Amino acid sequence: MGLIKWARTKSPWLLHFNSGGCAGCDIEVVAALNPKFDIERFGMLLKGSPRHSDILVLTGPITFQIKNRLKRIYNQMPEPKFVIAIGSCAISGGVYRGCYNVHEGADKVVPVDVYVPGCPPKPEAIIDGIIKVLKNYEKATP
Amino acid sequence: MVQEAIISLLQIVIFPGFLFLILAAFFYEWVDRKFVARLQNRYGPLHTGPRGLLQPFADFLKLLSKEDIIPYAADKLLFSAVPIFLLSLPLTALFCIPIINSTALISFEGDLILVIFITTIIVISVFIGAWSSTNRFSTVGGMRACLQMLGYEIPMTIAMAGPAIVAKTLSISKIVQWQTTGLWFILTQPLGFIIVTICFLAELQKIPFDIPKAETEVVAGWLTEFSGKKLALLRLAEDLELVLAGSIMASLYLGGPAGFSFMPPFVWFIIKLTVCILILSNLRALFARFRIDQLMRGVWKYLTPLALLQIILVELIPW
Repeated sequence: MGLIKWARTKSPWLLHFNSGGCAGCDIEVVAALNPKFDIERFGMLLKGSPRHSDILVLTGPITFQIKNRLKRIYNQMPEPKFVIAIGSCAISGGVYRGCYNVHEGADKVVPVDVYVPGCPPKPEAIIDGIIKVLKNYEKATP
Repeated sequence: MVQEAIISLLQIVIFPGFLFLILAAFFYEWVDRKFVARLQNRYGPLHTGPRGLLQPFADFLKLLSKEDIIPYAADKLLFSAVPIFLLSLPLTALFCIPIINSTALISFEGDLILVIFITTIIVISVFIGAWSSTNRFSTVGGMRACLQMLGYEIPMTIAMAGPAIVAKTLSISKIVQWQTTGLWFILTQPLGFIIVTICFLAELQKIPFDIPKAETEVVAGWLTEFSGKKLALLRLAEDLELVLAGSIMASLYLGGPAGFSFMPPFVWFIIKLTVCILILSNLRALFARFRIDQLMRGVWKYLTPLALLQIILVELIPW
């Protein structure tokens, strides 16, 4: 069991999903991939298909229109899976909170493991959030 | 008699058989990722084992332990069989490559044809996997893989015939033995080496020709629906294909395990294999993706005539 836990914490693959935001957080997520921050150091890769990924990186407010798509993509990911809400919009709705077409936070739709605050958060904060997910997983499972 | 049987069994199972080939596949995936990362001014895998050496192994274990989803609409038998096909095909072909000395584990007249045939069957398996997963992205990816094969297959086969014509044999082991006495074929047929390198990039679906699994166009191409154990086997199969491509290049054009006698032949083979894989990785970091029509046009218009020119040169110049 220890070996599998080691493997899971050493190779988290990300799926980036924009649920209707302004693309500010997306640029920060992409910045975490580029040579300056290089999250491949921790074995993370950005994957296109939900079937391949372990961590769903959510950015932007959850609009009513995208809610069902988000649920579907979450269900398409194989277990064990984690969700990170990045930016104020994904945490609580941000500046769009109270709008006629927006949910108040991603946790109303899918279970969220870690929240990364900021508008937008820095790439360092995003990397820290992903590492926190893995630390939590390491502690939670015996 | 018993001793010989045990030795040949150990050769098949451990060295240079299954265990060595799979370890080499993991090692060269690490080499590939690390080299590309360094060329892009990144670090690459760093925290998994010494300098990230265990990263491919961690990926493999993680995928093995993940949930294995079979889509409701998929053809379940074919969908489960394709990863096993794809893993066994490059392993079979690698047994025909001489690694520790100038004779391979399996060597007979015509094993070059078998290896070329297996590289084709790999693409057919890819297509079956794509078709059986009944995902529209997979289907598009599988179609692209087949279309790409119609392009690169012909110049690759013609170029590989060059060393066979000069050495007057169709066995890879005998081509390697010919090179221990004569010149390496990269010196006499550099054009063929370039053509084979380009065609192997297309065969491996590496970046200038990663059209079948272009992430920005078709999600993950023919791999889209595979998850868990199946994806782990498919990734291992891709690494084995990388080793296969490198070792075919090393055997046909760089003389395989032949070298000066102060190091054992096996070490020479590893050095040449590493050089070939670094060439492939370098090209991967250097280019952007071509469109499928650009690939087809380039291959039919330039590579095939150049491959024919190489054969004509081989016929005209006796060595």
